[in-house]
Amino acid sequence: MTTQDLIEKIGLKALSKFDPREVDGVFVSDMLSDVMAGAQSGNLWVTVQVHKSIVPAANLVDVSAVVVTGGKEVPKDTVELATKHDIAILATDMASFELVGKLYNLGLVAK
Amino acid sequence: MKIKQIKETLGATVLEGPDNLEIEVSQVYASDLMSDVLAFGKPHSILFTGLATRQAIISAHMAEFKAVVLVRGKIPNDNSVKMARDTDLILMSTDLDMFDACVRADSIQKGKALSSESVSEKAFPEELLLAQELVIEGDDFASAGMVSTGIKSTLKKIGLDNVLIRRIAISTYEAEMNVVMHADKGKVFLTVTPTYVKVVIADQGKGIPDVESAMVEGFSTATEEMRAMGFGAGMGLPNINRNADEFEIQSEVGVGTTLNMKFLI
Repeated sequence: MTTQDLIEKIGLKALSKFDPREVDGVFVSDMLSDVMAGAQSGNLWVTVQVHKSIVPAANLVDVSAVVVTGGKEVPKDTVELATKHDIAILATDMASFELVGKLYNLGLVAK
Repeated sequence: MKIKQIKETLGATVLEGPDNLEIEVSQVYASDLMSDVLAFGKPHSILFTGLATRQAIISAHMAEFKAVVLVRGKIPNDNSVKMARDTDLILMSTDLDMFDACVRADSIQKGKALSSESVSEKAFPEELLLAQELVIEGDDFASAGMVSTGIKSTLKKIGLDNVLIRRIAISTYEAEMNVVMHADKGKVFLTVTPTYVKVVIADQGKGIPDVESAMVEGFSTATEEMRAMGFGAGMGLPNINRNADEFEIQSEVGVGTTLNMKFLI
């Protein structure tokens, strides 16, 4: 499943510009060190954090995309930095719980 | 023997001192215990030590030493360098460990060139593929993580293995965030040789009063504000410990903290 498939199937908004990637597993956390410790390369990272520093974090652990949940507004500088580093920032009004349920039903699991 | 000879034999870098290193030293004194330096060190000696703190410089000065060589690639913080300048001590750093540094210094004293059989291979400084110095600003959350991001792309260009790069990137990010959250300013020294990548992050800041506690997962001194941003989970140092092949912390309260991380290629 690719980032593009998810955008279409779940109705996620793509905020940054990026090249589509294969999504392999999901990691849900709002603590950055947790992501550093546990997220695997290619995971979809589900979070409510929107500040600029999520971009280097996403880049360094090499997640396939960041999904910001709960309809949180993502600042422009975060989106711009993400585009610059080819990091996918996706957004949804759904809460993390609801989104994760949908992802699970699509066959995505923790990896 | 002359300090210049020692510098060349150890492949050391001069961190503080005059261009002219034609200064004679009477003997080498190797120790990490500063009370030993004060008790047994002879004037006009050169100190080999793994202690990069200001106390090491002060002790060498009190014992009337001419120079200090930091072994195992220790990088002192700015306070130590300033102390060396103020006390007219020559301060150098070498990547060799204490044993190899001593063996090589001994070869100068005995006036013989080292043959490859007489010391371990490690005693010969490795070819440097890359040496970079970068700066991290404390409290600058807007650029937090960018130094690590830069290091990641540099290592990618060198063509290192992706899994190794990821481990280095994660460790460097955690260390960088620590500087942003807790220190005034930090310097990153990145060294790459054919066999390892070394990242040393030395900050000027409040230091860690209890390093042992700081290494425990969940221990954090981050503010509420930082935690709201998802930082300060108390997993930074444990994360580094898990990802680095060798990891060492030196911290002095009110002065700063230095992290030494080594990753084998």
